[in-house]
Amino acid sequence: MTPLLHYDAVEACYGHAQILHGTSFSVDKGASVAILGRNGVGKTTVVNTLFGIARLTGGTIRLAGKPLTRPRPYSAARAGVSVVIQGRGILQNLTVRENLLLGAATRRRGPWNLQRVYELYPVLQERADAPGTALSGGQQQMLALGRGLMANPDLLVLDEPSEGLAPVIVDELAVVLNRLRAEGTTILLIEQNLSLVERVAEDFFVLSKGRIVDQGKIAATGRAELQKHIAI
Amino acid sequence: MLIQCLNGLVYGALLFSLASGLALMFGLRRIVNFSHGALYMLGAYLGYSIATKLGFWPALVLSALALAGLGALLDAAVFRPLQDRDPLIILLVTFGLALIAEDVVQTIWGNDTHSLAMPALLAGIVELPGSSFPVYRIAIIAFGLLVAGGLSLWLKFSRVGLFVRAASFNPTLAAIQGVDTDRVSLMVVAVGAALAGASGVVAAPILSLAPSMAADILVDSFIVVVVGGLGSLTGAFITALILGQINVLGIVFAPEFTALLPFVIMVGVLIWKPTGLAGNRV
Ligand SMILES: Nc1ncnc2c1ncn2[C@@H]1O[C@H](COP(=O)(O)OP(=O)(O)OP(=O)(O)O)[C@@H](O)[C@H]1O
Ligand SMILES: [Mg+2]
Repeated sequence: MTPLLHYDAVEACYGHAQILHGTSFSVDKGASVAILGRNGVGKTTVVNTLFGIARLTGGTIRLAGKPLTRPRPYSAARAGVSVVIQGRGILQNLTVRENLLLGAATRRRGPWNLQRVYELYPVLQERADAPGTALSGGQQQMLALGRGLMANPDLLVLDEPSEGLAPVIVDELAVVLNRLRAEGTTILLIEQNLSLVERVAEDFFVLSKGRIVDQGKIAATGRAELQKHIAI
Repeated sequence: MLIQCLNGLVYGALLFSLASGLALMFGLRRIVNFSHGALYMLGAYLGYSIATKLGFWPALVLSALALAGLGALLDAAVFRPLQDRDPLIILLVTFGLALIAEDVVQTIWGNDTHSLAMPALLAGIVELPGSSFPVYRIAIIAFGLLVAGGLSLWLKFSRVGLFVRAASFNPTLAAIQGVDTDRVSLMVVAVGAALAGASGVVAAPILSLAPSMAADILVDSFIVVVVGGLGSLTGAFITALILGQINVLGIVFAPEFTALLPFVIMVGVLIWKPTGLAGNRV
C-alpha cells in the first residue's frame, strides 16, 4: 500500500540554514503516528516544508504517492492534508464561525461541516460570533481542530496541540482524537507530551537534528525509553 | 457653504473609489502600487473614446472591464513574480509603468485636454436652498457610496470576501487553510483596477482629461490609504471624506495651505497612531 504521506530523505532550509538533513518517515492510511523530539530539532520544519515555508532542497515528499513539487502554503490543504499548526493560527479579525468556514476553503467533500463541528464542540456554536482569539486557549485549540476537520482531510497533522493546555483539556483532546481515529481519520501527531502520545499514537518516529534517529511501536516501548527522546 | 461641502463629498467619493482598490491591494500583496493613478487615467481615456462611439454607460462598463483585465495582467506579470522581493522593486516597477502609461496616453490621445459628455439622464440641476447643484455630481457621491456599500457587503458576506479578509490579515495562515492566495490576489487587483477605471470614467465629465490627472489624484489616494490604516476600508472611507472636505474648504479659507494640509495631517496621524486610524485590517 502506498503511504498517505511519505518523506524520503527530505532536506529543508530557511534561507541558507539547513534544518532537515535527510528526514525519512511515512504515515499509512488509517494510521496514527507520532513524531517526537526535543525543542528546536526541526519538528515544525517538517510541516513547514509541506507549505514551502521551509524550502525543500533535497529528497521527495509524496502525498498518496504523488510527489509534491514546488510546495506552496495552500498545497497541503488542497492535497487533503489539514495541519493544526503550532500556536493554532486562529485569525483574530475573523469570528469563530468565519474561522471554521475558512477551513472549508478547499471545498473537499466528506462528513464534516459546520453543524458537525458544532455538535463535537457546542461551545464553538455558543461563541460563533465572537472574534476567534477571544476564546480561551483550550477553546482556541478546539477551534483550530474543528477548522482542520472542516476541510474533510485524508490526513490530520497536529503540531504540539497540547502546548499551553491544562491536563484536563489535554485529556479531552485525547478523547476527541481517538474518536476521530476510530472513524478512520489518519493522524500525524507532533508532540512532546507523552501522556497524549501514548493515548493517541500507535507508531512513533524520533527526530533529532533534522534526522529520524529512532522509530517503533508506542505499545512496545516503555515510558522511560520514550522520555529519553524528549527530555533535555 | 453647502455647495462646498457637497463638492468635498464629490471629491471624497472619487478618492475613496481609488483608495479602496489601493487598500485592498496593499492588504493582500503588501505592495504599494504607484500605477494606480495611471489605471484611473487609462479608464478615463478609454471611456472617452468608447463614449464618443457608444455613449456614457457602455463606456463606463467596458472601460471598467478592460481595466479589470489589465489589473489581472498586472498581478500575474508584476505583483506575483515580485512579491517575495524587496518592496522597493515593486514600487519602482509600478512607478515606471505609470510613466509608460502616461506616454502611451500622450501618443494615442495627444496632449490636448479632452472632455467626456455626461449622460443625458444625469445632466440636470437640483435646486437647493439659495443655490443649485448639478445632478451629475450627486451621482458621483452615490457612486462612492455604492462602491463602499458593495465592497463591504462583498467582504462581509461572500466566500471570496472571507478569503480576502483572511488573506489581508495573514496571507500564510489563510493559504495554509487552502485559500489559493494567488487567485484571490488576482481577483482583488482586478477589482481594484476596475474601480480605478470606473472612477476615471465617472470623474471625466467634471474634470478635463489630461495625462497629468494620474499623479494629481494618486498622491491624495495614498494619503487616504496611509492615514486610514494600510489595508483598511473603513479607515479609507472616513479619511477620504475628511480629505475631500479639507481639499474644498481649504481652497476657500486657506488657499495657501491647502496643498500642504493633507501631508500635515498624514504626518500628524502617523506620529499619533502609526498604524493609521483603523489599524491594519480590512
Ligand atoms: N522561519 C524560520 N526562519 C529561520 N529559522 C527558523 C525558522 N523557524 C525555525 N527556525 C530554526 O529552525 C530550527 C528548527 O525549528 P523548528 O521550529 O522546526 O523546531 P521544533 O522542533 O518545532 O521546536 P519546538 O519544539 O520548539 O516547536 C530552530 O533552530 C529554529 O531556530
Ligand atoms: Mg515546533
